[in-house]
Amino acid sequence: MNGLMLIARREIVTQVRTKGFVIGLLVTGLLVAAVSFLPTIMGGDSYTLGTVNSQQLPLQQAAPDTEFEWRTFPDEEAAKQAVLDGDVDAVLVDDARVLTDGEIDSELGVLMQSVNREVRLGAAGVNIPPLQVQSVGADAQYEGARTGIAVVLVLVLFMLLMGQVTMVAMGVVEEKGSRIVEILLSAVRPWQLLGGKIAGLGVVGLINMVTILAVGLLATSASGLSADFPPGIAGLVAGVLVWFVLGYVFFATLSAALASLVSRQEEVNTVLTPLTMTVMLTYFVSFYITTDPTGTLATVMSFVPPFSSMVMPVRMAATEVPLWQVGVSMAAMLLAVAAVLAIGAKVYARAVLRTGARLKLTDVLRAK
Amino acid sequence: MLEISDLRKSFAGGPDAPGGKVALDGISFTVRPGEMYGFVGANGAGKTTTMRIVMGVLQADSGEVRWQGRPLGYDDRRRFGYMPEERGLYQKMKVIEQIEYFGRLQGLSAQAAKKSATDLIERLGLVERRNDAVQALSLGNQQRVQLAVALVHDPAVLVLDEPFSGLDPIAVDTLATALQERCRGGVPVIFSSHQLELVERLCDSVGIVSGGRMVATGTVADLRGAESNTLRVVVRDPAHGWADGLPGTVTVRGDRHILQTADVDDQEVLRRAMKAGHVEYFGVEQPTLTEIFKEAVA
Repeated sequence: MNGLMLIARREIVTQVRTKGFVIGLLVTGLLVAAVSFLPTIMGGDSYTLGTVNSQQLPLQQAAPDTEFEWRTFPDEEAAKQAVLDGDVDAVLVDDARVLTDGEIDSELGVLMQSVNREVRLGAAGVNIPPLQVQSVGADAQYEGARTGIAVVLVLVLFMLLMGQVTMVAMGVVEEKGSRIVEILLSAVRPWQLLGGKIAGLGVVGLINMVTILAVGLLATSASGLSADFPPGIAGLVAGVLVWFVLGYVFFATLSAALASLVSRQEEVNTVLTPLTMTVMLTYFVSFYITTDPTGTLATVMSFVPPFSSMVMPVRMAATEVPLWQVGVSMAAMLLAVAAVLAIGAKVYARAVLRTGARLKLTDVLRAK
Repeated sequence: MLEISDLRKSFAGGPDAPGGKVALDGISFTVRPGEMYGFVGANGAGKTTTMRIVMGVLQADSGEVRWQGRPLGYDDRRRFGYMPEERGLYQKMKVIEQIEYFGRLQGLSAQAAKKSATDLIERLGLVERRNDAVQALSLGNQQRVQLAVALVHDPAVLVLDEPFSGLDPIAVDTLATALQERCRGGVPVIFSSHQLELVERLCDSVGIVSGGRMVATGTVADLRGAESNTLRVVVRDPAHGWADGLPGTVTVRGDRHILQTADVDDQEVLRRAMKAGHVEYFGVEQPTLTEIFKEAVA
C-alpha cells in the first residue's frame, strides 16, 4: 500500500472511531428520518366528525386523500361535551348546524359547506360536474416535493462541506504545529500527504452523505412521502454525490493550502476566513435559488465554479436541467479543481515545513 | 558513510538583507558506519539546521550531503530514522498504533511493522503503556515513543536532535543502550546534545559548532590531544620559591601549594616537589569535553 493510501486510511480510522462521528451520524440519521415523516405527522389530514340527528356528509368523495371518522351522538349535550373535550373536530346537528370549539378548521369548513351545498342541490335534481384541473407545466405536480428536496440538499451539502473542509485545515495545522510533518515528509512526498488527508476526510464525508441519502430514501418510502417524488430520483442522488466530491476537493485543497500558512490551531479560523466566506456565499446563493430555480441567477451561477458545485445539484433537484448544461458546468468545475490542486499542492509543499509566524500567501507563491 | 560537505544556509532574505541571518557557514563532517557522532554547540549554533538539511526537511543554499558516496536522495532518506527537535507525535493516537503507522509509512509490511513495534515497546519499557494515547504519557515516555518511531523501520542512519533532553538518568540509560545497539550493528548515529558528559561517554567522535561553523571535529581523544594536558602537583608545606623558573601557576591555599603547568619535564618537576615538601598529589589531567568545548567556542 503506498503512502497516500496509508495516510488516507489513518484519517478515516481516526475520524470514524471518535464519539463525535458516531453521535453525529446517529443524530443526522434520526433528523433525516424525522423530516421524512414530518409531512405525514403534521399533515393533520384526518378529521373526527360527529352527527346528531343528521345524515353523514359524503366528504370522502370530495377529498379522497383525507381520512374521516364519524361518530353518532344521542343528543346535542353529549355532542357539545365531546367537542369541548377535543374528541371530535365538528358535529353536524339536525343537518343544519355545525358545533365546533372556536373557529372551525378552515379546510374542513370549506369542505363541509360545499359538500352540503352539493348534497342539497343534488337532492333538488341539479347536477354540477366538478371542475377538471389540468397542468400546463411539465412537472407541476412535483414542484413542492422538488423544492423540498432542494432545500434539504442545500443544507446537507453545506454542513458536510464546511465540516470536512475545517477538518482538513485542522489536521494540516496539527501536523505542522507539532512537527509530525517533519517525520512524515522524510517518509512520503508532500503530495502524498496532502492527497491522503483530503481523500481520507473525503471518504468520511461521503460516509455521512451516503448515510443521509440512504436514510432519506428509506424513510420517505416508509412514510409514503416518496410517492410524491419526481421520477429519476436515483440519478439525482448519484449526481449529488459527484458534485459533493468535486466541491469538496476544491474547497479542501484550498483549505489545506491556507492552513499550511499557519502553525497554531488558534490561527486556523483567521486564515480560513476568505474560504469560509466563499462557502457561505455559495450556500446563500444556493438557498436563494431553491425559491427561484429557473431564474437567471440560478442558471448563471450553476456554471461558475465553485458555486456550481452546490447550485447545480440544487437546480437539478428543483427543476429539469438540460444535459448539456450539466456537462459544461461539470467540465468547468473539473478545470477549477485541477487548477486549485496544482496551486494548492505547491503552496502546501512550500509552506508546511516553515513553522513559526504566519506566512503570506503571496510570499509563498513568489518563492523559488 | 555519511558525508556532509560545506553546507551553507541563510534565512529571511540572505545575510545582506535586513534581519537576515547566516545559519550555516560551511559545515563539513563525516560519520562512518557504526560510529556514534555527538553534535555539540550553543543554542542557535546551527545543529538543528544541519540535521534538518540532512533529513531533507530544509534545503541548503549550497553544499552537499552524500550517503555511500552518492548524493543523498529521497529513497535513501526513507531508510533514515529521524527525531526532530520539537517532538512530533499524534497526541490522540495509541502508542502501538503510532509506531506501527510510521513503520508502514517507511515501507514496512503490516506484519513487519507490528513485529517491530512490539519489539521496540518491550525494549524501551513501554509494554504497560502500549494502548495508551500519547497525550496520557509522561514526557520521558513520549520521548521513548518518539525514539521508537525513529527506530521502527530498522534505519540505515539515525539522526536525532536532542534525544536526551529532559530525561531522567534511567530513561537516558535506556535510550543510550538502544542507540548503542544500533551503532554496534553498523548504523551511523548522529545526535545533538547539551549534556556534554553524556556525549563524552557515548560518542566515538564529536563535532563542535559555533556560529554556523564547525570549530572542532574528531575523536574525543584527538580533541584532547589538541589541547595541552595539564600537570597538577599539590605539595604541603614546601619551601618558598620551590617552583621558581617553572612555567604555569602556583596557587597557595593554606599550607598547600598547587602547581598547574604544562610542557615541562614531569620527572624534574616531581623531584623538585619532593625535595621541597610533602607531595600529596601528582598527575596529568585531561581536559573534559566541557573544557574543550568552552575553549573551542571562546
